[in-house]
Amino acid sequence: MRIVIAEDDTLLREGLALLLRSEGFDVVAAVDNGDDFLAHLDEADAAVLDVRMPPTHTSEGLKAAAEARARRPGFPVLVLSAYVEDRYAGELLARGADGLGYLLKERVGKVAAFVDALRRVAAGGTVMDPEVISQLMSRRRADDPVQSLTPREREVLGLMAEGLDNGSIAERLVVTETAVSKHIGNIFAKLGLAASDSGHRRVLAVLAYLRS
Amino acid sequence: MTSDRLRAWARSWRFLAAEAGASAVSTGFFMGFLLLVPLMLLTGGIFVLPEAARLLRRWAERARVRIGSFRGTTIPGPRSQEPADRTIDARLRFAFSRQTGRELGWLTLHALPTLLVTLVCIVLPLGALNSLLVPGYWFLVPEDDPIGAPYPVTSWGLAATMPLVAVAYAVLAWFLIPAAARAVTGVSARLLTPDRRSELRARVDSLTLSRAAALDAHGAELRRIERDLHDGAQNRLVSVVMMMGLAERAFETGGDGLPQLRSAQAAATEALAGLRRTVHDIYPPILDELGLEGALASLAGRSVVPCTLAVDGIGRVPAALESATYFLVAEALNNVNKYSAASAVRVRVAVDGPQLVVEVEDDGRGGAVERPGGGLAGMRRRVEAFEGRMTVVSPEGGPTNVRAELACGS
Repeated sequence: MRIVIAEDDTLLREGLALLLRSEGFDVVAAVDNGDDFLAHLDEADAAVLDVRMPPTHTSEGLKAAAEARARRPGFPVLVLSAYVEDRYAGELLARGADGLGYLLKERVGKVAAFVDALRRVAAGGTVMDPEVISQLMSRRRADDPVQSLTPREREVLGLMAEGLDNGSIAERLVVTETAVSKHIGNIFAKLGLAASDSGHRRVLAVLAYLRS
Repeated sequence: MTSDRLRAWARSWRFLAAEAGASAVSTGFFMGFLLLVPLMLLTGGIFVLPEAARLLRRWAERARVRIGSFRGTTIPGPRSQEPADRTIDARLRFAFSRQTGRELGWLTLHALPTLLVTLVCIVLPLGALNSLLVPGYWFLVPEDDPIGAPYPVTSWGLAATMPLVAVAYAVLAWFLIPAAARAVTGVSARLLTPDRRSELRARVDSLTLSRAAALDAHGAELRRIERDLHDGAQNRLVSVVMMMGLAERAFETGGDGLPQLRSAQAAATEALAGLRRTVHDIYPPILDELGLEGALASLAGRSVVPCTLAVDGIGRVPAALESATYFLVAEALNNVNKYSAASAVRVRVAVDGPQLVVEVEDDGRGGAVERPGGGLAGMRRRVEAFEGRMTVVSPEGGPTNVRAELACGS
């Protein structure tokens, strides 16, 4: 799979390239700003973008991601950030959630999980950082239906929002897939969400609910 | 003793004589202002009025000096001087300020009323002199228009009483003139001294401004620290985590993870160095110990290239500005020592109006170029955090002049 990396910190950029190459990705370009990334857009199948890049060091990565997906709809983008911001997640999701990931930078330390996330994004899935989900969860009011979920159901809800499918959730929680399906059924019933198939549409529904 | 009192009396009389002239001018001014009132109904008043207020302020300032020197005291002028910026808005605010109103009140009193009082006072001694002389010439004036002060002198008998009148005039003059001088100066001094309320208001205004500037500086400093942490320690620690992850991966697959571990260690060391730098940059301990001037003197003393330091009029500036100034000078001297091959360097730090000016000039080889990520760029970033400006003039062959202007808001 051909990947383009945009990250302004030299050490991190080279580290990321090394990591992805060692995991069998083809890093076609590693650049340090949004414009150069856009120049390599057509050579790649997916991109890993830093949010803060020159010239203003604010949210160039987000702008570049939006521009890339405007030019190539559905182009898979995994956005990395030093801190996660619910608002940024909203901006990213506003124009479609398929093939979109938003992770804290330090998630690269769990190489297997990081590579898995990149693969899921490249395959059109949605990946949200657990930190975004916990920010959203912590913002719920006391009388919110989310509070009526059992601890296990809330765990499942969080993993759904991160973009995991039933199989992965079962694996993560060390339960059977049937148990996961049951939990999900309960969650959707309690929150009053229309049950949808697995994949990014489910993520969207859950995130939309949490953000409302 | 008597001659002292006589001298004091003469001084009062001279003062009143001068004040008579001045109040004649004030009367002219006053008439002019009256003429301005109908003009205010026309748009031209907008331009004329501020000018008139400016003229009034200057005239009042001269009166302060005059009266102050007579009383041997200083009459404080208003804090707010003529507006520095020449916008119509600022000028109108000046024209309609409380202080202008007070000065107008003073002018009203200093015009005709003071003119009358001073004129009476200065002619009293002349009246006494005249009365003394009347017996010598009353018979020379026509009978149908006799000397009339204070009563018609038509006979030798009446003329013989004139020395008594002269004495009366003299006594009156002796007591009235010092009293009148005191009264005129007392009333004028009170009217010309800005009232406490508008003084306090002006003070609050200027404090509000400097507080806002201090908060801005503080905010700028916070942003800089956040940037430093993000670009430094935070990114390095991500590298550490990533390298550890790669090492873990290598060990899991039976490979050699040692190079990754070494990279992780190097990145962690860098993160520590970055943190140390950031912590030091937040507020160098030396600033706390010696203050800005002392800290700059210490920098100058450490410079290999002989450094002269001129610090002028920097009172208290916000801490963030102090540390910015310190680092500007430190970085500039660092450049001078490393690259300039100079034989002398001059550092000047001075407050110029609302700005703090930091200037470093050496007599070295010049040719300094600003590179992204370089020392000069870092300096510029600091200066811009304070909405300041930095100019670097460094022709090949020298000299090099680095000048930064930072808003200090005091």
